[in-house]
Amino acid sequence: MIFRAFLLPALAALITGCQTASSPAPAVNAAIIQAGRSEQVSVATLRQGRSLFLTRCISCHALPAVAAHTAGEWPRLIDEMAGRARLDGKKREAVLAYILAAQASR
Amino acid sequence: MRRACLYLCAALVLTTLPCLAGARRFTYIYEATTSPPGGFESENWVTWKTDKPNDHAFDQVDFRHEIEFGITDHFQLAVYLADWFYEDGHSVENEGFAYADSALELIYNLSSPAADLLGVAIYGEIKAGYRTFELESKLIAQKDIGPLVLAYNATLEATWEGEDLEEKDGEIQQSLGASYEITPHLLAGVELLHEIAIPEWREAERGFFFAGPNVSVRGGKWWATATALAQLTRAGDEPNFQLRTIVGYEF
Repeated sequence: MIFRAFLLPALAALITGCQTASSPAPAVNAAIIQAGRSEQVSVATLRQGRSLFLTRCISCHALPAVAAHTAGEWPRLIDEMAGRARLDGKKREAVLAYILAAQASR
Repeated sequence: MRRACLYLCAALVLTTLPCLAGARRFTYIYEATTSPPGGFESENWVTWKTDKPNDHAFDQVDFRHEIEFGITDHFQLAVYLADWFYEDGHSVENEGFAYADSALELIYNLSSPAADLLGVAIYGEIKAGYRTFELESKLIAQKDIGPLVLAYNATLEATWEGEDLEEKDGEIQQSLGASYEITPHLLAGVELLHEIAIPEWREAERGFFFAGPNVSVRGGKWWATATALAQLTRAGDEPNFQLRTIVGYEF
């Protein structure tokens, strides 16, 4: 009984969280692809950038929305954290390209 | 009691020096995220347990030295180099320090707590020591809602102890935590534990609960998280209070 009493609120909290959460990192859609194309960024790079953004950043902190910082601020922020997130040159560029394209598509 | 406090203070100072690891929001609850591939971190744990209902003089300080490796974006491996402890009290047979065990821990992430409906990971641990062997598995669920992280663990643990490992016991645990990122360098939350022992895998004992606050601070390559838990039930052989600190450093 106690076990169930504990489990049910836990699941309810998690499910409520699922229902109310909106992704701070939108999927690569036509608008983002278009924004990336104007900067000579391939669809594969955008998808890799989003995947890295979603997996590498949340090990240490809450995932920021792509609109949380300006296009001028993002390169410095990513440079600061690239070492800890193990983002080498190409991966760093992919993350930045995705964020800037997602911002431009809004 | 005074000795235990001294050892605890010394351990806290030592572990706060040059050690860091994969930034954890909780100390009793695992998260569904894993270290990035190539990531290499060290974690040092100190857990102080005190004041059992059937032994108010009881003190135990547990130490763990762990190194953690990110293998892929979804898989990490950790080695507990050594678990050791100090204990004293009326109910303790051999007061003093002793080595407990070493272990291998694997975590595989199945979905993202930020991008998917629910972040899920599976956890396996193999632990061996002097006259003790243990297998532990967990299902880890996590949901990130902006700066708020909710995490839930369901754990099944099997232990074999004794000269011929003839004592076989089980335990079921579940834990729930919430942590809020106040700033990128300061997080605070709560943790709730529920444990049910199953001696000799026959009949489950009445469960006991612990709850308390946690706080986590982060620097450049280091982080530290502490949780203070009070026992909500009156299980005689469980501590009324426990404090766990984990300090991590990333290389």
